[in-house]
Amino acid sequence: MNIIEIKNLSKVYDAKTIPVYALNGINLAFSEGEFTSIVGPSGSGKTTMLNLLGGLDSPTGGEIMIDNTDITGLKSRQLIDFRLRNIGFVFQSFNLIPVLTAKENVEFIMQLQGVNKEQRDRRTFELLKSVGLNDKVNTRPNKLSGGQQQRVAVARALASKPKFILADEPTANLDSKSAENLLEIMEKLNKEEHITFIFSTHDARVVAKARRVITLEDGKIVGDVSKN
Amino acid sequence: MIFKISFKNVWRNKVRSLIVISSVTLGLAGGIFTVSIITGMVEQKIRTGINNEVSHIQVHNPEFLKNYESQYSIPHADSIAGIISKMPGVKAVCGRARITGMAASPNSVAGVQIVGVDPLQEKKVSNLYTTIPDTNGGYFTGNRKNQIVIGRKLADKLKVRLRSKIVLRFQNIDGNLTEAAFSVNGIFQTSNTVFDETNVFVKKSDLDLLTGGDNGIQEIVIMLDNIEKIPVAEAALKAKFPFLDIQNWMEIRPDMGMVTSAIAIEVYIILGIILFALAFGIVNTMLMIVFERTRELGMLMAVGMSKSRVFRMIMLETIFLTVIGGIIGMVLSTALVGFFHQRGIDLSSVSKGLGAYGFDPKIYPFIKRDLYINLTLMIFCTAILAAIMPARKALKLKPVEAIRVE
Repeated sequence: MNIIEIKNLSKVYDAKTIPVYALNGINLAFSEGEFTSIVGPSGSGKTTMLNLLGGLDSPTGGEIMIDNTDITGLKSRQLIDFRLRNIGFVFQSFNLIPVLTAKENVEFIMQLQGVNKEQRDRRTFELLKSVGLNDKVNTRPNKLSGGQQQRVAVARALASKPKFILADEPTANLDSKSAENLLEIMEKLNKEEHITFIFSTHDARVVAKARRVITLEDGKIVGDVSKN
Repeated sequence: MIFKISFKNVWRNKVRSLIVISSVTLGLAGGIFTVSIITGMVEQKIRTGINNEVSHIQVHNPEFLKNYESQYSIPHADSIAGIISKMPGVKAVCGRARITGMAASPNSVAGVQIVGVDPLQEKKVSNLYTTIPDTNGGYFTGNRKNQIVIGRKLADKLKVRLRSKIVLRFQNIDGNLTEAAFSVNGIFQTSNTVFDETNVFVKKSDLDLLTGGDNGIQEIVIMLDNIEKIPVAEAALKAKFPFLDIQNWMEIRPDMGMVTSAIAIEVYIILGIILFALAFGIVNTMLMIVFERTRELGMLMAVGMSKSRVFRMIMLETIFLTVIGGIIGMVLSTALVGFFHQRGIDLSSVSKGLGAYGFDPKIYPFIKRDLYINLTLMIFCTAILAAIMPARKALKLKPVEAIRVE
């Protein structure tokens, strides 16, 4: 079942002067439980694609249907709420809230959603356990390694029970051991709990683990390979 | 949640937050202390003015106040004074004769208000007798006739000392000129040099003897047991004696009343300026904070934190910074004011200048409780105003751009 359908998606920068096509007429679909990498050289449109899928940016043309909702038609306030309830984000530079502990960072999203304390506590503990950080519950980000911080970020992304997780270069700031460890955790979550992951990456290790690899070049899809 | 994050964010950069908090603390403490000195001076001036000069309420024949002619005395003054003394809240009542006249010594002459008093009764409504230093005689001591108590300023002007003779010249109730020599029995010294120069006190019985008849009572002075009761007592007196002129101390001494009102406004102007200046520092700090946290704010909006929550978070951080400084500032200033209220601040080096305006050389700083309530509101308003610009700046961030800021 498709959870994301992209039709004729385009994003043009400086449309009035010298138009630059970051994305040009993209048609794509993502189904539930995918573990997909979007790859391509710098400037190929990976980040733009992720921004548009995440509702952080608006396209110049086309539509993005997520669970039968065209998010390109949503207003700013509706988009924020949509992101909160449907999309999980993992950023390249972790972006945890430094004044909160690992537990509080994960719990924070659920607080925004209005989940009650009992449920929050239970889910936070489960998520931190699933990323192997149940012994770092009360540790602040500055006392965690890069890999541990990114695992907290994954737990945070999962906290809202999103339909899919967008991970922008999640291993870019990690050493190889931490990157490997993070990928194993995400792969496990994908296989065991059917969490959909969409990565934008340059990292060959991520590409190797991905079951589908979409290659972008000059804003167009030049490859879409599924592995079994 | 937003409350918790905001409070934790305040302590993210401890040094910077402590600098802002300290500036608010010191600014406010300095402002409040300055205000307390001004308030203390004014309160003291009013208290001594009431106790030594005017009392809480005065009653006159309306005609007397037009030209201060002694023929316009209060009819049935004794019985009226008796009735007033039984009214609720009245502590003491006393009648006075008041005559405009001249005081002359061999060296000089001065225009004065001659006040005829019953010394025993007078002491119940006026503390003037307490302002006579031990070395300057007393307040109608012994039974000698024609004693006079004058102010230090007048004594200097007439170049007289204790037991010197002064000739008082005035019109009696029949319009004839009368004069008599009085012996200086005491020299008082209040903080109001104008009062000291223009008022002389004699026994009313001596005045009556001189004029060969009762000069009447031109003034009834009333002291209440609490200054706050003035409006009620004044209204009751006006209702009971509509044919008499009833004045409270502010009407008798409009200069004192005016100073009180002016100071009340000045106090808020001073504190308003201080808070306004502090607000600029707070805005600057908060703008820096928003700038430094651009990526984090972008992330918060990206993961689903609404703009109103982001706005509230920045507002709360600003309010915390300001209010913490404000509370410490108020506590510090309370301690400071309390300390100096006990000890007093001696400004005797400039006491001559202060005395001309009726101020005591020793100042006891004082703050009214309602100032703290209003100040708390002012601090809150400052915090909210200072927070608006940084919070708006945060709202304008676009998550897609903000999350990529290095």
